[in-house]
Amino acid sequence: MITAAVQRLDRSARQLAPFFSSVFLVMLSALPVYIPGYGQVAVDVGLMTVFYWAIYRPDLFPAIAAFVLGLWQDILVGSPIGLHALILLLANWAIVSQRTFFQGKSFAVIWWCFSLVALAASLVSWVIVCGLNTTIVSPVPVLFQAALTVGVFPFMAWFLARAQHAIVRPLDE
Amino acid sequence: MKHRAESFAKVAVPVRALLNRFALLFLIVAAFAIMLLGKADTLMMERARSSVVDVVAPVMDALSRPIATVSEGADRVNRFFSVYEENAQLREQNARLLEWQSAALALAAENSTFRKMLRFVPERGASFAAARVIGDSGGVFVRSVLINAGTAEGIEKGDAVVNGDGLIGRVAEAGRRSGRVLLVSDLNSRIPVVTEKNRVRAILAGDNSPSPKLSFLPPNARFEVGDRIVTSGHGGVFPAGLPVGQISSVADGVIRVQPFADFYRLEYVRIITEFPGEVAGQIVPSSASPSRQR
Repeated sequence: MITAAVQRLDRSARQLAPFFSSVFLVMLSALPVYIPGYGQVAVDVGLMTVFYWAIYRPDLFPAIAAFVLGLWQDILVGSPIGLHALILLLANWAIVSQRTFFQGKSFAVIWWCFSLVALAASLVSWVIVCGLNTTIVSPVPVLFQAALTVGVFPFMAWFLARAQHAIVRPLDE
Repeated sequence: MKHRAESFAKVAVPVRALLNRFALLFLIVAAFAIMLLGKADTLMMERARSSVVDVVAPVMDALSRPIATVSEGADRVNRFFSVYEENAQLREQNARLLEWQSAALALAAENSTFRKMLRFVPERGASFAAARVIGDSGGVFVRSVLINAGTAEGIEKGDAVVNGDGLIGRVAEAGRRSGRVLLVSDLNSRIPVVTEKNRVRAILAGDNSPSPKLSFLPPNARFEVGDRIVTSGHGGVFPAGLPVGQISSVADGVIRVQPFADFYRLEYVRIITEFPGEVAGQIVPSSASPSRQR
């Protein structure tokens, strides 16, 4: 009886791990790092985690999780609230709807797709911010951020793959 | 029975898919609604934001400390290599500053004599709160930092934030134990300033670039690269005379200012919670409080 309860608890903890680890990683990314200029182009951790889980375990990262993670990112970072919520939601939807395409594809293809998603996300957010502020903001930082995020993605993917192997894999056994 | 279950599945599956689709649509609409609401009712969003940040501020405070330590260590190693040149430079600067010090002392003595002659009412001193920067803006569209002090420390929305170099920005959101500082370079930052020498008034407007620009310039005003810019105190939000930066470029009528403060290395900041002139000093004429002079 007790072991069953513990097992259930263990199971739900593993199921929630992708979301809560993302919440934690986004918070880490908002800490000051004292590198000149980095704050402006800091890698978009939320986008990376949403992309990863949407490809490999969409069942554990539903649209509402992407939405809430985006709100969290907006609150910590100071961007207009709802901006990242929308971006991450759209990214999640775009990947999940193309899920059959990603099955069995090599990492290079996935990386290439991520760069497209990052570019699209930066353009959409740039358009929205320009609209909200009713001025043209320089698009250079946001493109730089996209490039940096794409560059960091393999490391993040490696880390998340390890986490997936250690924490999420036992769910399937 | 089996037949019924099948027909149920036939109906249930598309219904569920439909619901899922609507959930997505609903969330997209919600995201837009939140964004527009944040634009329309900024106060409500600020409150919601700062109450969430209040909860996580202690965690971010703790997490940011080791990073600061590592960065300081790296800095120390860096400085070690330039210690000789820096020493020579500092000696030279020290000699110059000593001259200035004697000049300042003479002026201070002279000033106090004049004040006595004029029965001048001294201004009350400003009060400060100190805070640590616990969160850097990881956003491309905003220039702001999180600090670990809020209304509990006497900080209010709109307060000026400075460090040893000069003005940093103003408090945009104040929670109980945390706050967000909008940097001078942010798109939404507008600060009344004045050039120190010529006393030309202008508004320092951020545009997310490292050097904000001066706007609302009076016609025929002359600006030169290197002119120091200080806060003018107009509007009564900021104290007057806080050093902001110096003009770094004058080109095609666009005048850009390089702030004195290094926004990339903010660790501790001071918030001016109260300053002379903020409460009543500007309204009460100096002769109205003779009792305070004694």
